[in-house]
Amino acid sequence: MSRPRILVVDDEPQIHRFLAPALEAAGYEPLRVETAEAALREIARRAPDAVILDLGLPDMDGKDVLSKARTFYAGPILVLSAREREAEKIDALDLGADDYVEKPFSIGELLARLRASLRRGAHAEPEPAPVLAGDLVLDLALRDVRRGGAQVRLSPKEFDLLAQLAGARGRVVTHRQLLTAVWGPAHVEDVAYLRVFIGQLRQKLEADPARPRHILTEAGVGYRFMADEARD
Amino acid sequence: MAHAAPPRLRDLGGYLAALALTGAAATAGVTAEPWLAAGNIAMLFLLAVLIAALGFGLGPALLAALAAAVSYNYLFLPPRLTFRIGQAADLVTFAVFFAAALATGGLAGRVRDAARASAQRTRTVSALLDASRALSAAATVDGAAQALADHVAAAGAGAAVVLAPDAGALRLVGGPAGVDRLGEAAEAAAQAAWREGTAEDGGWRFRSLEGVHGRVGVIGLRDDVSTADDDGLVPALLQQGAVALERASLARAAAENQALRDADTLRQALLNSVSHDFRTPLSTVLGASTTLLDYEADLKPAVRRDLLQSIAEEARRLNRYVRDLLDMGRLEGEALRPRRETVEVDAVIDSALTRLGDQLAGRSVTRETPPGLAAAGVDPTLLEQALINLIENAAAHGTLGTRIHIRAGEAAEAVCIAVEDDGPGISPDALERVFDRFHRGGRPSDRAAGLGLGLSIAKGFVEAMGGGIVAESPIAEGRGTRMRITLPKAAP
Repeated sequence: MSRPRILVVDDEPQIHRFLAPALEAAGYEPLRVETAEAALREIARRAPDAVILDLGLPDMDGKDVLSKARTFYAGPILVLSAREREAEKIDALDLGADDYVEKPFSIGELLARLRASLRRGAHAEPEPAPVLAGDLVLDLALRDVRRGGAQVRLSPKEFDLLAQLAGARGRVVTHRQLLTAVWGPAHVEDVAYLRVFIGQLRQKLEADPARPRHILTEAGVGYRFMADEARD
Repeated sequence: MAHAAPPRLRDLGGYLAALALTGAAATAGVTAEPWLAAGNIAMLFLLAVLIAALGFGLGPALLAALAAAVSYNYLFLPPRLTFRIGQAADLVTFAVFFAAALATGGLAGRVRDAARASAQRTRTVSALLDASRALSAAATVDGAAQALADHVAAAGAGAAVVLAPDAGALRLVGGPAGVDRLGEAAEAAAQAAWREGTAEDGGWRFRSLEGVHGRVGVIGLRDDVSTADDDGLVPALLQQGAVALERASLARAAAENQALRDADTLRQALLNSVSHDFRTPLSTVLGASTTLLDYEADLKPAVRRDLLQSIAEEARRLNRYVRDLLDMGRLEGEALRPRRETVEVDAVIDSALTRLGDQLAGRSVTRETPPGLAAAGVDPTLLEQALINLIENAAAHGTLGTRIHIRAGEAAEAVCIAVEDDGPGISPDALERVFDRFHRGGRPSDRAAGLGLGLSIAKGFVEAMGGGIVAESPIAEGRGTRMRITLPKAAP
């Protein structure tokens, strides 16, 4: 079985210096480029299994790289970004990035996100099998949600929202993506809806709704559904 | 006003002169009587009246007419040497005296009053012009206040003090030399005038100074001087002064705002720098160390060593960034007090190169110091840091294998050190901004070069020591950059 090829796009040689051996040690085959132009060329030519893309590239806006890449590449793209460049992160996710990792990051965090993105890539179609998360069993196809074996009653909007989150399998989903999918494009600004419904979902699904373990907030960006409780 | 006699004295002079003129006419009449007809003597008196009228105005003219009538009657009209009037016709003569006095004196008086008023106006206008010049030349609140106090005092108020609000309290900003504070009563009165418009106590009368946009200060005048003077000079001065004070305080506020904005821009730039430029080395340190922690067993020894190496490099880089930011903070805080020591620049170049150490690996560094080079009068620590920054800059902007040449020398009053490299050089428009804070040569995201503070710190340090720094590029065959610092020589 050939190792998954991961294209790393960053203009900092120092980042490549540790990412390359780390990816290799974790069983991937790293490819490295330092410019947006080279990145687009390599994505087209080598068809990597996933792309790790730094948004701060010298020759092109990271968002342009994303939208250009998305015209011919469907695989997972993981974005590296600075914490304070929130708008940039959200734009990147809305433009088709699968997830983001904030610099500076530990290698464990990056690889966990990379694994989640690769899983998504492996099951691009909505998965019929139930999602297991702690004492939760979510059968999205049957619209059946159980907690500790007992059925949980969800309103249609609550279920749609949960389905969007769980379907992303550990990846962050932006406010805009959730609002568009559940309430329609006219409601993309109505983040308050989300807060209310996320609160209701947590009441019904979380052991301690004040300290959620499955439906996690990504402040200012969106939400993430974690099946396993471990988080780096 | 000092150049005009007080009105009382001047008038008395006129009346005395009128009497003297009449006396002279009488004397001339008595002397020349043998040769003159009685009517001619009356003409002499009329002449005296006319002269008095033309020279001194209506009052003295009337006195002259009275004196002329009396002495003409007494001396020349029968019955002589009595004040009795001989015949009714003589009354006509007296009437002519008075008529001449009235007509001529009134006319002359009006002419003279007009002339006097015009001279007064000229003085007022010129005083106002002087004041206006002084007030508009004043760039500061204190300067404007002092000019106002001086001109009001000169305009006849004797002494004037000006108070303006400063950090929430009224402060004496202008007044006679030697007066640096008012008594308690006067202070309280000034406060009251600031609140209510006018107040007096402690020997001063205070009134507020009203600018276009509101109250700008308080002026105090000695309470024995009237401000309602005839020509309106003092009120006009107060108005002008208020406007000048207002302008100066607005200018001060604008300058303070600018300073705050500058400080804010710097703070913002520092924050951006910390967040962007510190994150890359931190990413490397965190990424490389967690890679070692998570995959130590799977990594080849050479790779492990390289990761450790990169952690050490980035930690050093972070340390340089911290040093640069602290240096920048020292320069900005103006807490920099350079020592002045007799310093052999060659020794400082030595220690700078030693401290740079590994950073210069792969670069060839040559140096040149003429024998017997004069010592510089500078702070060795600041000079060393400035040199380190210049050399770091030369190393960062050249490629591996760059040659760096450090050349010391001497000019008339200065010791010079030039740091030269054979890198690609700097374009003319970038050359102007090379010492700007956070200016980075090359592409904007080129973080290898550092924070973009090194050269501006070098410039700040060198200038703090009384030296100068210039950048020249290209220096040979369209390539290379020379950073030349000049330092004051040590006192012999």
